[in-house]
Amino acid sequence: MTDELGALTTIFTEFYYWITVVLMFLIHVGFCMYEVGASRYKHHQHTLMKNTMLIPLVTVTWFLFGWWIYWAFPTGPGIAPSIMNESAALITDDSLFSAKWYLPNSDLMAVNLGDHISGVFWAAFLLFSWTAASIVSGAVIERITTFAFGILAIAIGSVFWSIDAAWGWHFDGWMLKILGYHDAYASGVIHAIAGGFALGILIVLGPRIGKFSSSGEPRNIGPRNPWLVAIGLFLIYTGFWGFYAACNIPIFNLGPEYGMEGVTYFTATNIYVTPTTLSGITMNFLMSLSGGLLAGYVIAKGDPFWTYSSGLAGIICASAGNDLYHPIQAMIIAMIGVVIAYKMHYWVERKFKIDDAVGAVAVHGYAGFAGLVICGFVLNGYPSSGYSVGAMWDGTTYAAINPLGMFIGALIMFFLLGMLPGWIIAKVLHGMGKLRIPREVELAGLDFDIMEAAKDDEKAVASASR
Amino acid sequence: MATVTNWIDHLSASEVQGAIYPGVGTEGILVLIAFVIWIGWHVIASKQESEEHSKLARRRPGSNEWKSNITDG
Repeated sequence: MTDELGALTTIFTEFYYWITVVLMFLIHVGFCMYEVGASRYKHHQHTLMKNTMLIPLVTVTWFLFGWWIYWAFPTGPGIAPSIMNESAALITDDSLFSAKWYLPNSDLMAVNLGDHISGVFWAAFLLFSWTAASIVSGAVIERITTFAFGILAIAIGSVFWSIDAAWGWHFDGWMLKILGYHDAYASGVIHAIAGGFALGILIVLGPRIGKFSSSGEPRNIGPRNPWLVAIGLFLIYTGFWGFYAACNIPIFNLGPEYGMEGVTYFTATNIYVTPTTLSGITMNFLMSLSGGLLAGYVIAKGDPFWTYSSGLAGIICASAGNDLYHPIQAMIIAMIGVVIAYKMHYWVERKFKIDDAVGAVAVHGYAGFAGLVICGFVLNGYPSSGYSVGAMWDGTTYAAINPLGMFIGALIMFFLLGMLPGWIIAKVLHGMGKLRIPREVELAGLDFDIMEAAKDDEKAVASASR
Repeated sequence: MATVTNWIDHLSASEVQGAIYPGVGTEGILVLIAFVIWIGWHVIASKQESEEHSKLARRRPGSNEWKSNITDG
């Protein structure tokens, strides 16, 4: 960095992503509080540790292979050629954005004076990975083993979400080119896939003991600490600001990028390098949050647990197109998403005896799925990528956003990359006898030994005279 | 191990070397170590968890017995 303006832009971008990482950390704090608040007293500490340990597991594997997958898989492989090297193979050549630079033994995956961006960008994506795994974590509380959850967290956090991001989020992704897929703030690439993955696990894992009566009627196992749940969800809202900002590129000169001669146009862009503004998406974020809360309060008849969750579901549903929607559109879409998520949750629970302990499949999966489909209609005709402005290497352009492409994209996210792998891996773990904790432990409480030891310690301390 | 021993020389070189961590060139070994730590953690943690569950399952505490273990309040 030798010229001041270039240096300022680079350092600003580096700092921008760094701030998003710090903010997104709050999402995980929120998820941990939320889960502990939702779990029963006798399972509190193990519930907390299960979610906490996904941090190192997903981080290490994201370093070792997750990040590489994102840069290698935009072509499928074999589905659509890259605009960088005209090949449909994995992108591992010497091109500028090749996965080659993101192998764990690359010198760019470390302190490198020639690269101020890769590390913070890696971290921003990693925090998305934590979120994907954490969404799954809440659904399976009180009966999954920590070992099984660790494997599943790595699968969703460092493999499957990374593939879906390569396909549907990367500027060179085949889903943009062929389907016209558009998902600016991750209705599908984080939420629908994680919700689907959780559902796949839940089918194999089964409900908590006592969740359903002998006649199959579901019983409510409500949050044991509603205040912790409330604070947790507020923290997730707060971290979501960082999530939105991290999905943007803060400053980009689109003229040269689009091949427009003599045109200079600096703007913020979304992940697809199409223009938006941080200002506009801030309005949409707040209006979709509001739409979600309004609808949730009414449909859940003032139940705080669902009202808070609905705020989140509202944002999630509007996220696919929140780079372009009008704020009132965002609010209405959020309201629709909440109604769908709430109704689907109880229908699936009764019909299939699925015990989703925190409503994660509904809030993330169904709301995310609905958000993608709605986006296909509302943004029908918009370019799915900045690069559709100019011709691609072979003269073709990216498909425009369209309802059918977005519906197929939603199916890919929820079922193909979410539910199916979740179900298969859970089946394998179940076959190994490693998926679910023993019945006796579930009844006694995962924390039974810890609590008993604490009681013994307390007795000893209380009776001590010196 | 030191990759940089003089910042003035380093930054005034015609082409500044980007990687400045100790042991440049040993990344492959570090990655191998990281893999071993990662897999090893799963093996050890899984064994610990299975033992803990087996021990508790053998004792078969009642589903309300935990209530007598609450220490606060």
